[in-house]
Amino acid sequence: MTEQELRRTALIIPPRGRTVLCVWLAVPGLLAAPFAFWQSLAAGLIFCLLWCTLVGLLYARMCSFAAVLGQQSLTVYAGVSLPTRQVVPRRAVTSVYQLRTPLMRLAGVSLLVVSTPGGRLWLPAVPAAQAGLLAHILAEDRP
Amino acid sequence: MKHGRFHPLMALRFLRKTLAVYLLPLINILFERNWPALRDALMQDLFIFALLCAVSWVILHVSSWSLDEENTFCLHWKLFVALDREIRGSALAGLTLERPLLFRLCGASRLVLYPIGQPKKGTLSLCLRQDNAQELADRLFPIEKPVLHTPHSGEKVALVLLGANGVSTLALIALALRQTRGLPWDPQTAAFSHLNSLAAFAARWLPAGTAWLLVLAGAFWSTSLLRSFAQTLRYTVWRTEDQLGSRGGWLNRYEFRVRRSQLSFADVRLSPGARLLHRWPVFVTAGCCCPELPFFVYRSGEEAMFAELLPEFRMPPEILPDTRKRSLLFFAPAGVPFAFFLLLVLVSRYTLPALTPLLLIPAMVFLVLLSGGYMGYRQEGIWPQDGLLTLRRQERLSLHCICILHPDLCLKAMQSPWAVQARRLSLTITLPGQVRLKVRSIPEADAEQCFNP
Repeated sequence: MTEQELRRTALIIPPRGRTVLCVWLAVPGLLAAPFAFWQSLAAGLIFCLLWCTLVGLLYARMCSFAAVLGQQSLTVYAGVSLPTRQVVPRRAVTSVYQLRTPLMRLAGVSLLVVSTPGGRLWLPAVPAAQAGLLAHILAEDRP
Repeated sequence: MKHGRFHPLMALRFLRKTLAVYLLPLINILFERNWPALRDALMQDLFIFALLCAVSWVILHVSSWSLDEENTFCLHWKLFVALDREIRGSALAGLTLERPLLFRLCGASRLVLYPIGQPKKGTLSLCLRQDNAQELADRLFPIEKPVLHTPHSGEKVALVLLGANGVSTLALIALALRQTRGLPWDPQTAAFSHLNSLAAFAARWLPAGTAWLLVLAGAFWSTSLLRSFAQTLRYTVWRTEDQLGSRGGWLNRYEFRVRRSQLSFADVRLSPGARLLHRWPVFVTAGCCCPELPFFVYRSGEEAMFAELLPEFRMPPEILPDTRKRSLLFFAPAGVPFAFFLLLVLVSRYTLPALTPLLLIPAMVFLVLLSGGYMGYRQEGIWPQDGLLTLRRQERLSLHCICILHPDLCLKAMQSPWAVQARRLSLTITLPGQVRLKVRSIPEADAEQCFNP
């Protein structure tokens, strides 16, 4: 895949990537659940219900996630009812981190963290091949 | 290559961070409650103080700084491990040089270095001998062929604000004295005589107490304004080919220098005082270097000086944004406390009439702040101009007219479901140094112009 091809498409989180993110969010809930059940059965059930809702909301939000590489900027869209749009100029990128855990490797996705002088942009669980190319392009743009 | 050690006042920072340690021996007194226990605790505190002084002495002797011929500044630490932190002079967005009264008496200066793109926690704050600090500042940010100005508008604004605050504090003192008149000066007797009627006790003491609290707040504000006034005296600003700077102050000396290529934004603050006196303070920010003092204050008719110091600055256009379907969020910060105090006023009218005039004061304050919210509702917006972003945003009673000068800005747009329906959004602009500017409830079309300039 080339830069031109990457610019013609949007980076989305594939279903496997969404599952990985949901697993990540579910882990702290699973750890905390025994303590909630320790209080009472009702408290445990309510906690589980709330946590499942949270995981569901994350899954729904990740469905609308899209990162678009432009000629001069990288734009990230997320959310439908609470939409956000983040724009980072390519020349402002100072560093790019690429993270792959065993679970992510299994799902064929990567976590990309794009650093700029103003802050950080997180691209969670995007396809590994595209993430690698994006990291390479953004790193090349560095002044 | 120039080497040096830090000024002993540098140890003050370490000693200040360890103040809580002195409380540990005092915990025992809570259980023992006798004089020998207090004496033991104080002895232990004395021992801890001596120990911390020794640690400070070690810190001062194992740490040092150096500056080489290529203007690379280096911090050294040599105890158990050798640690060096290097910063190139050209990698600095700005520096400040502060000399508070205590520092001046001790012959020290506080030098703060702001590396490009680093947030506040990435800055370097050093306490050096006065001549060393000055030499470092001159080497890292040399002033070559400066265009100097000595504006006096800042002093006048500070003096007028100080006078206004003095008058209002005096009025509050008169009110407090009036509330206090007739009160018994033996609070203990008064308290015991009213123990069977707590409400009556509150009715007698609460108004006077509140009045004196307001006086205290006014006095603190006066002190702050007096400090601002003292800092605006003997003020000089300059511009060179690659930097902007200013210095001034009477008791506390303050100087800052910023690299022009690293200027994030310039901000003309239209506060009520500024509007009244037609003197406009201009603040500049480079990276995370946001001096609390204005870079300079100009008055109407002195725009030439402004254009000379900041030729790239553009004022936001004199147009009012469209307010149809605009969020009422602007009224919330002042509206909620105003409603609260209004409720208290209504309740006090029947239960504690003596407190009503005092409760009216915060209610009036929030009402005035509410008018600030209305100003934001009417005027806040963003407009691209000549390839730069200009924006107006409201903060309390001030309107900030901002021109963003740095090209590397990150934008974030956020919408609520209601905002989606109204086709509006809040735009957050993040600049180097993680400095954020937010413009609320602007039309999507205006934001689109910022995303695609």
